Amino acid sequence: MHHVTLDQWSRRQSPLHRLDPRSKIVALLVLLVVVGTANRQVAWLCGGLWVLLGATALIAHLPLRAMLIRACVVLPFTGVFAAVSWLAGDPGRGAALVMKSYVSAFAVLILVSTTALPALLRGFERLGAPRFLLMVAQFLYRYLFVISEEAQHMRKAAQARGASAGGLAGGLAGNAERFSAAAGALAVLFARSYHRAEQIHRAMLSRSFPGYFRPLMELHYHPADLLFVMLGVLLPVLLRVWIERLS
Amino acid sequence: MVALAKIGLNGWWRGAEAGWHEYLVRATLKAIVHIPDGFLSTPVWAVMDLTAAPAVGYAVRAAQRGFDDAKVPLLGVMGAFVFAAQMINFPVGIGTSGHLVGGALLAFTLGPAAAAVVMSAILAIQALVFQDGGILALGTNIFNMAIAGVLAGYLPYRLFGGGGGRRAAIFAGGALSVLTSALLALAELRFSGVRMPTAVLGVSLALFLVSALIEGAITLGVIRALEAIQPDFVRQPAAGGRHAVIAAGVAAVLLASGGVVIASTAPDGIERLAKQTGIESRAHSLITAPLKDYQAGFLGAGWLAQACAGLIGLGLVGGVCWIAVRKR
Repeated sequence: MHHVTLDQWSRRQSPLHRLDPRSKIVALLVLLVVVGTANRQVAWLCGGLWVLLGATALIAHLPLRAMLIRACVVLPFTGVFAAVSWLAGDPGRGAALVMKSYVSAFAVLILVSTTALPALLRGFERLGAPRFLLMVAQFLYRYLFVISEEAQHMRKAAQARGASAGGLAGGLAGNAERFSAAAGALAVLFARSYHRAEQIHRAMLSRSFPGYFRPLMELHYHPADLLFVMLGVLLPVLLRVWIERLS
Repeated sequence: MVALAKIGLNGWWRGAEAGWHEYLVRATLKAIVHIPDGFLSTPVWAVMDLTAAPAVGYAVRAAQRGFDDAKVPLLGVMGAFVFAAQMINFPVGIGTSGHLVGGALLAFTLGPAAAAVVMSAILAIQALVFQDGGILALGTNIFNMAIAGVLAGYLPYRLFGGGGGRRAAIFAGGALSVLTSALLALAELRFSGVRMPTAVLGVSLALFLVSALIEGAITLGVIRALEAIQPDFVRQPAAGGRHAVIAAGVAAVLLASGGVVIASTAPDGIERLAKQTGIESRAHSLITAPLKDYQAGFLGAGWLAQACAGLIGLGLVGGVCWIAVRKR
């Protein structure tokens, strides 16, 4: 049984974990807009926000170092573009790209590691996102690991039948054979996923599925949420206004 | 745990086994297909979010038409399938490998509306859980891959999928879907002022073409294998489509190719274009006029007014979508 690190983090206890997901989503969107629209003094702004986010992560009892490393996921992508910008004679823009994308990813990471995914999606639903789409997303996440494990088993089985590490059916077979073998494997995975969905649906019907997920917990808006939203909106905005005033 | 890391990073890092050039290629393609936050300029992401929201709302309604709740698990599990399918490598010679993107395959099996919903859900999970693509850029990524990509992929199948050119139509669908998404993303990045020397641009276009051909070949291979397993997996093209789908598909393709042409004639992005035509100063005064008195003494920041206007606009469109999508 696999558990993603994020799932473990999002089940911890802290003042931030207890907040209503809606208030965290609103604060995140404000912060992202503040970062996304910035084009002057980006280094100072990102530095200030980074300190702010780091403090938030500490309040939420999250492992700061592991989170900083995890947010580096964006760097390989943005790094390539920063290098291209550098080559095109605009190193400032390249550096701004890296900083903005890193701070944004760190902020999103704090949201998802303080909110369990069902609660998060329910927050989005209450903020007006289409329910059907969110239900599909939730099913997707639930079966992501099941289907991926199935794909891994199939890959292992293919290797046991003599496929080399390079492809699905390797050895003496040419590229064309290996290609069609991989296509066949994907088709089998497709068929198995399809039938699994049918079985899931029958199981859901037998438990009288009403057509939507019954929420196990209701969202409650507390005074702490109001305080958090006010801080989450005011601090980044004022920080940016202050930095742009100074320059 | 390794398996999870692979899902999360969508396997691009496996390029490390193959050498730095493959890593570079994968990183570039990935960043273009899943644009992170901070890359797009404000007008671009705001307009794309505003465009994607009603489009997704429409797709959700179309996918729910004749709603039976079997569709919820089906679409979710097929989304998980597309995720997992990226773990299966396809050899394409000279030591490199490709993997399925999936928009066209889903459109041929589930229909274009359901495919758009599944792809949107995939992009949302990738952005939220795996930080793969931005949140403000989510509308852009959804428009590129889930709306335009799926429609462009379905177009050749809808037009020619019934007759003798069926195999060619399936291949063209896969290729066109990837090409359209990539070209749209490229145009949006150029409009945002991300500079690219001509050489880099040429290399990226060549890469897009290669990955489009790979996607076409994979889609064709999987569809043929599926028809061998159980023919009714694959939809007949006439069953689920109307002329509006064709029109939208043509529009998506035209938009992608036109966007690149326009973007390459405006090398410094939309700002310069706006300055040249004088739109910027007019738009600025239009947006800031109601708040002028406050700004002079209070905050002195035009961006705040713009950001607020954008947020209000987003809220309005969200409200409209909510009313449109709500079950009646």
